[in-house]
Parts: sequence; structure tokens; C-alpha cells
Amino acid sequence: MESLKSKKITSIWIIAVFVLFLVSIVLGILMRLNQGEIIDQSPVTFYSNMTTHGLTMIGIWFVAGMAAIHYLLQRYVKTSFTANIIALALTVIGILMLWTSTFIGEFHAAWTFLYPMPFKVMWAAWATPLFLASIAVLGVGWLIWSLSLMAQILKKYSISQAFAWQHFKKNPAVETPPFILISMITLTGVIACLLAAVVLLTLFFAEFFSNGSFVNDALLMKNLTYFFGHTIANEMLYLGLAVIYELFPEVSGRPKWKTTWYVALAWNFTLVFILTAFFHHLYMDFVQPKGLQIVGQLASYFASLPAAGVTIFSVFIAVYRTKIKWSLTNLLFFMGIAGWVIGGLGAVIDATISNNVVLHNTLWVPAHFHTYNAMGNVLFSIAFFYWFSTQSAQNIKIEKYTKLVLAILLIGGIGFLLAFYIAGADSIPRRYSTYPEELSSGATWAKVGAAFATVYLIAILIFFYNISKRCLKILFLRS
Amino acid sequence: MQQQSILLLFLVLAGIATIVFVYVYLSSKKTEKSENGMSNPLKKRFWFSLILFVILGIFASVTIPKSPYYLFADENPAMVVHVMSRQFAFILSRKAIDPDKPSGEPIELPVNEVIEFRVTSMDVNHGFAIYDNTHRLITQTQAMPGYVNRLRYKFEHPGKYDILCLEYCGLAHQGMRSSFNVK
Repeated sequence: MESLKSKKITSIWIIAVFVLFLVSIVLGILMRLNQGEIIDQSPVTFYSNMTTHGLTMIGIWFVAGMAAIHYLLQRYVKTSFTANIIALALTVIGILMLWTSTFIGEFHAAWTFLYPMPFKVMWAAWATPLFLASIAVLGVGWLIWSLSLMAQILKKYSISQAFAWQHFKKNPAVETPPFILISMITLTGVIACLLAAVVLLTLFFAEFFSNGSFVNDALLMKNLTYFFGHTIANEMLYLGLAVIYELFPEVSGRPKWKTTWYVALAWNFTLVFILTAFFHHLYMDFVQPKGLQIVGQLASYFASLPAAGVTIFSVFIAVYRTKIKWSLTNLLFFMGIAGWVIGGLGAVIDATISNNVVLHNTLWVPAHFHTYNAMGNVLFSIAFFYWFSTQSAQNIKIEKYTKLVLAILLIGGIGFLLAFYIAGADSIPRRYSTYPEELSSGATWAKVGAAFATVYLIAILIFFYNISKRCLKILFLRS
Repeated sequence: MQQQSILLLFLVLAGIATIVFVYVYLSSKKTEKSENGMSNPLKKRFWFSLILFVILGIFASVTIPKSPYYLFADENPAMVVHVMSRQFAFILSRKAIDPDKPSGEPIELPVNEVIEFRVTSMDVNHGFAIYDNTHRLITQTQAMPGYVNRLRYKFEHPGKYDILCLEYCGLAHQGMRSSFNVK
């Protein structure tokens, strides 16, 4: 069972994620204010902030999902506290190195740091190796963590059981809990993409230390970048889904969900689609083999099939005409699933190659991924944080002010996202510090976005206050 | 306009999804009995998944042939334009561009003819995006060092077209642009 020290480290993760989230939201709002010509930042400041914003957001929501998985996995297997501590320490060190490279060194190659931009130094010369080293530190910490969790699963379940393959036959002797299956599928994807990051960083450092005798291939580097970047950003959402499978029925006062043949099949297919969908980032690289472009579109399309047919449908079955105990936890899960679906619709539209040619690198892209992050994955994680922080509290009902906070969250989130979608459909480019005169509608939508994002921030601040207060109490509990 | 149809499609689908979620939530709030639920969930799940599969399959088979790689692939381009991108400018020329002495020229293209842009980069990744005179993005490709992307397009309206960089390339990315005329 969950020990006190495990509760304490989970509390630290939650508080750290919240603090970094608030800082990153503020950076995002500053970016939109600059695009809206309300404030006047230099391009270097804007793009450094953009780099910090992107990488910090991906990092924190990945670790938030991992911390939740780690905590809940203790219900099934023994987990390593040391691995958790190592991951925490390396994440803190990695983030500090990253922020030093961007805030002080003014490194601003964006979170994708597409080769060869890190080598075209437009910042302090030391910032490039420090930035690459920060990614290495974060990657090593997360790889150790993922490998440790997977090893613990495999100590109890064989590989075929962990992937629930025995469920393809009738009456399987052993039942793989859905939480174990999804954790295993997700950790496999996480480890695969972190290994791609190892190759990517090795190639970067090989060129860096070769003094010009070794030059990388830009297309290979781009494929590796997105295999790593897209997959890790995608997997953090699936970490949240594992938590939903575990907690949604429990907090709703319903029987635990079971693994069936179609659940097993859906999740095994999900792994294949997750690992091949990243090709959609390279649609506009016409030199990429056409076969891979089509794989990208098909994988992006069909990834929605197991998600909708199994996970989303299961949530509907659990809720439809069923009297359940509604709390902030399952309400946030439910709203988050809706955000995930709507963001997914925007994603499938963009993953259509013939649409991508007029949407690629416009604001449509941040529109859809902010939908399933800010209104999907973030809600999954806050639901877990809330559930975790109130575990020992009795009879927590939905209070009036909670409904108000949810309303603020929805209004802020929807307004902020609509400003992105409409501007994206209006051909406004993403990653522009300011817009040219003929695209002045971009500035107008940026102002709207900034205003609604500030409303969203208010809701997050309230969650932060309530949840962190309880987490701090757990942190200072004596056994 | 393709983008407006895309936005409309998205808003309609997002609206339907929202209605379904609200309906399912309200059905739970209204129900009195503890065990009511959905009848025949497995059958419904099967049909829902099958319909979704068919819709996705139809969309994929209709849209994939419209991908830019196949546009005008069987035709001979009336004109070839070489594009060399660098931080933070585009060099356009009808002749091949020498990377050691890159030089461009003003470009004028014929209307209703297939044009092939051969796009590459001297330094980092850039985007080569063409905007029409209503400031609408009409097509694009990437400019990648070491590779040449061939983008074919037929301009149906005369006028001035802008080129913007759509792949983040550094501190003056937002100012990297060029233009050409179609007559």
C-alpha cells in the first residue's frame, strides 16, 4: 500500500508541477500580449520565453502523469522509491539547467530545437551545450523512472500478461487489470521515445564535438526529433487515461472496470498508432517517402478508433443513465475526456495531409494541442491531484464555489482556444513574435486569447491554492 | 475557402461532441434508480466503432489522393523557380542558385500554368508558404538544408503573392518574407 513517504514525494511532485505550470501560463500570456501589441518584448525575449514555455509544459505534465502512475501502481506491485527520488532530483536539475540556458543564456531554438538551429548560435555560446545537457539530464531521469516502473510490472506479470494477450482467448486464467495494461503500453511508448532522444542527443553531441568533421542529416534529425517530441507529448495524455481507468469507477462508486478482449486489442493497437503517428509532423517535407506520409495520416486517423470505441465509450457506459457519485474528481475526468475528444477532432482535421497544407504551422496547431492539454490532460492531472489531496478527508461534496471555479475554467479555456482556432483558420502563423501588417487580425485574436487565458489562470490559481494547501499538510505530517 | 470550411466542420463536430457529453452527464444526474444504464452496451459499442471506422476510411480514401505530393504530378511544369532560403530571407531565381554566390531575381509567373518551386535552405529549416492577395495561405512546403522539396501549384488569379517563413528559424523569423507576381 501507499506509504507515507510515497505520499510525501507525490505531494512534492504536485506542488512543483503547479508552481511551474503557473509560471509557464504567465509566459504564455506574455507571448499572447506581445502578439497583441499590448506589451513590447524583444524577439529574443519572446522566443526564449516560447522555448521555456513549450519544454516546461511538456515536462511538467509528463511528470504529473508519471507521478500519478507511480502512486497508483503501488496498489498492484512494489515500486521503487529510489527511482522516484532520482527522477525528482534530475527533473529539478534539468529544469534549472534549461531555464538557465533560456532565461540567462537566451537560448531560443524552440522546444523542438530542430537540427541544425542549436548550432547556429544566436545566443550565449555556452547556452547550446547547456540546453542539450538539460534535455539529457531530464531524459536520463525519466528513462530510469520508466524502466524501473516497467521492471516492477514485469516482476509480477509476464510480458504477454502485461500486454493482456491472454485476453484474446476465452476464459483467461489470469486477469490483467486495465491499469497495468495501460501503464505497460504507455511506458513502452515512453521508453521507445526516450531512446530516440538518446540517439538524437548523441548525434547532436557527436557533431558538436567533431569540429566540423561530422555533419548530421537534417531529415533524419527531424524524424528523430518528432519521434521523441510528438510521442512524449502524446504519451502524457495516455498516462492520464490509465489514471482514469483506475479512479473513475472508484470515485463514482461503481464496480472496477475489467480487461476484456476488446480492451486488450484496443490498447495493443494504440501502441502501434502512437509510435507511427509522428510522421504527420513531416507532411510538408516532400522528400520524405510518400509511404511514410500516408502511414502518418492513417495512424493519426485510426488512433482515434480504440480511443473512441473503447475508452470514451466506456466512460459513456459508466455514466449514461447511471446514478453515480459525482465529485470534483470524476467531473474533471469527464470534462477532460470531452476536451480530449474536441482537441482530437481538431487534430484529425490537421492530420489530413490535404488540410495540413493550409494549416501546418498556423495557429491551428497550438489550437488543437492546447485543447487536449489545457482542457484535457491538465484536467486529468488536476483530478488526480484533487483526489490524492482529499483521500483522507471525509464527505467531500461538490460545493457551490467549486461549480463556479469549473465555470471560470470552462469560460477561460474555451475563449482562449477559440482565439487560436479562428486565427489558425485565418492563416495566422504560429511562433511569430509579432504579426505583419496584412495579418493584423492575428493581433486582435491574440488580445482575446490573452484575456481568456487570464480567466483560465484564475481557475488554476484557485485549484493550486486548495490542493497545495492539503499537499503541504501531507508533506509535514509525522508518521 | 478551404480554411473556412475546415473551421465550420470543426465547430459543428465540437458542438455535437459537447451536446453528447452534456446529454450523458444530465442523464446520470436525472436518473433515480442506481442500476439503470445503457442496454446492450457491447452491441452499441460494436456499431459505434464500425461506423467510426467506415467514416474514417472514407475520409482517408477521399483525402489522401488530394495530398500536395500528387497535385499536377503527371504534368510538365511551365516554369521552374529555384528557392534558396537563409536566415532571414528567400532568394528566388529561374536559374539554379549557386550556394557560394547566391543571387536572386524578381519573379513573374504565368497565370493558369503549372509552376514548380524547388525549395531548399542554406542554413536551418524554414517554411516556404505562399499567401494570396487576400492574405490567405494557399500552399506551402518546408525548406530543409541538404534536401530539395518540389512544390507544384497552378495560380488561377493574377496578382501579388507573398511568401512567408512558416518554420521557426530564429530571432527574425517573423520578418522573413518575399513576394512574386502572377500575370
